[in-house]
Amino acid sequence: MSDVTSDLPQATGHRLEELEKGLFTSDLSVNEFLLIKEVGFHPVGFVMGSSIYHTGIQTRKWGQSLELTKLTEAMYNARELAMTRMEEEAAELGADGVVGVRLTVNYYDWGKDAAEFIAVGTAVTAEDGVSRLNKLGKPFTSDLSGQDFWTLLQTGYFPQGLVMGTCVYHIAHRGIGQTLGTTGQNVELPNFTQALYEARELAMTRMQDEATQLGATGIVGVRLEEKSHQWGSHTIEFLSLGTAVLKTSGDVTLAKPVTIITLDG
Amino acid sequence: MAPTDLPEAAQRRLSEGAFSSALGVSDFAACLEMGLEPVGLVQGFCAMQQGSYMMGGLSRSLSPYGGSAGGYVQNYQCSHGMISNEHRTWGQNYEQTWVETAWMQGFTSSFSRMLEEAGELGAHGVVGVVDTVTRLTDAKVLEFHMVGTAVKVLDAPAPTTPPWSTYLAGQRLSKLFEAGLVPVSIIASISSIRVWAYCTTEFLMGGAGTMLRNSSGPQEIDQIVSAKSQARFIARSNVRAQLGSDSLRGANLELGEWEFERGDYEFQAVLRGNRVRRFKNFDPLPVPRATVRLS
Repeated sequence: MSDVTSDLPQATGHRLEELEKGLFTSDLSVNEFLLIKEVGFHPVGFVMGSSIYHTGIQTRKWGQSLELTKLTEAMYNARELAMTRMEEEAAELGADGVVGVRLTVNYYDWGKDAAEFIAVGTAVTAEDGVSRLNKLGKPFTSDLSGQDFWTLLQTGYFPQGLVMGTCVYHIAHRGIGQTLGTTGQNVELPNFTQALYEARELAMTRMQDEATQLGATGIVGVRLEEKSHQWGSHTIEFLSLGTAVLKTSGDVTLAKPVTIITLDG
Repeated sequence: MAPTDLPEAAQRRLSEGAFSSALGVSDFAACLEMGLEPVGLVQGFCAMQQGSYMMGGLSRSLSPYGGSAGGYVQNYQCSHGMISNEHRTWGQNYEQTWVETAWMQGFTSSFSRMLEEAGELGAHGVVGVVDTVTRLTDAKVLEFHMVGTAVKVLDAPAPTTPPWSTYLAGQRLSKLFEAGLVPVSIIASISSIRVWAYCTTEFLMGGAGTMLRNSSGPQEIDQIVSAKSQARFIARSNVRAQLGSDSLRGANLELGEWEFERGDYEFQAVLRGNRVRRFKNFDPLPVPRATVRLS
């Protein structure tokens, strides 16, 4: 599975062949389905990509805060592989994009230091036949729901890709001297502040770099996730995720909200 | 780390072209509708060690706290006299001003850093602020994390004052403007009251009090009621002191409580809200349309 551009499992080929005949699958709710149809898109299939990745080992120093670059690369590459395979499935279906993308990480008892990275979403195609592939010639991806996708299009923006940045950082332990020196005091711990600050900013910068590569004008719905996975509490992965968007039309067609009183009990 | 000292990675991120925003699509669309252009996700952090006043455990069981750190103190004396060494003849509620100071320092530093990032972007304000306080691996270390979306007011001249800020975003912010109010700043305050229960409180709180409760019937626990009331009162007073002639909207009061050992409690009240200023008279909102959901 190292060649990500053409190496999907055999079962995938059979499933996609059926989808190409017109049947579609999707994890969209009914409301999402209707809203996506309303803005001129049609779901063509539920697509996914997966990668089981051995994350390796990187030594850390007890008293030093630093980025663990090998782990950062591993976490990034694994997600990228899963995403690329999902995009490949979408391309097989002739899709213009994938909406409602979800990225998850699973750990199994049988795989020590290995994790499965999974990307799933619903591939959609434009009903007017005009290509909506992004600047890189790939289907756009987005973690937006059907409702958000509809709303975004009313503002004249269009999604270009789900962008992410990650940084695995080791936060230094405090030495006995440092601990004793501040015992009982209200004091900021600049080492901790700086380390956490730096790690999150690095993750966000990398996410923005991805958006820039896509020629996006912005990123919406950015969220920062923090997990220690299986590395212990002082090693944290900071993951930044969002949907890169491009202003494609000057028109904002969103209706002015109306104040309502719900009569539901 | 001085409040004006952003990490190099932050400077680099903010100097890039594409904007980022922590707003969901609905809030993002509402921002555009209001003439606010998101220019970047901004954040601030502070890891803060919480000091102590050496009042825990044995030292406190020997004598009442003298209140030398200032703040609210209330003493309770039981009427039973000396029964045994375990019998708590006195109790006390006292404000932990050093806990409040640490919290406010952490909050203020992370807030300043977030505003500094917004200032770097030339933003007029920060909307949709979310602030969280989490305990780091070291139990006495709190991390203050503040994140929001910096916005520029379309067609407005460059700001000459620090950015305004608000917890509100989307339709809630839109309604604030419609009501003739503008956000000035997010605002927060904390109060921390430690309770060292005397015998009656200890019995009524459950410990060995089953017989006493049964014999005396339902009863208010004065010491606890007083501690919680004071916690709320102090948090409210501190916020009021910061408001000046402005008002508070969208306030949220959270009360947390911890039991360290039998009869030793801490109550914290955290009040967050939006400091707002009137800029025009209130225009009545349109008459709401009644709806019934069919799903």
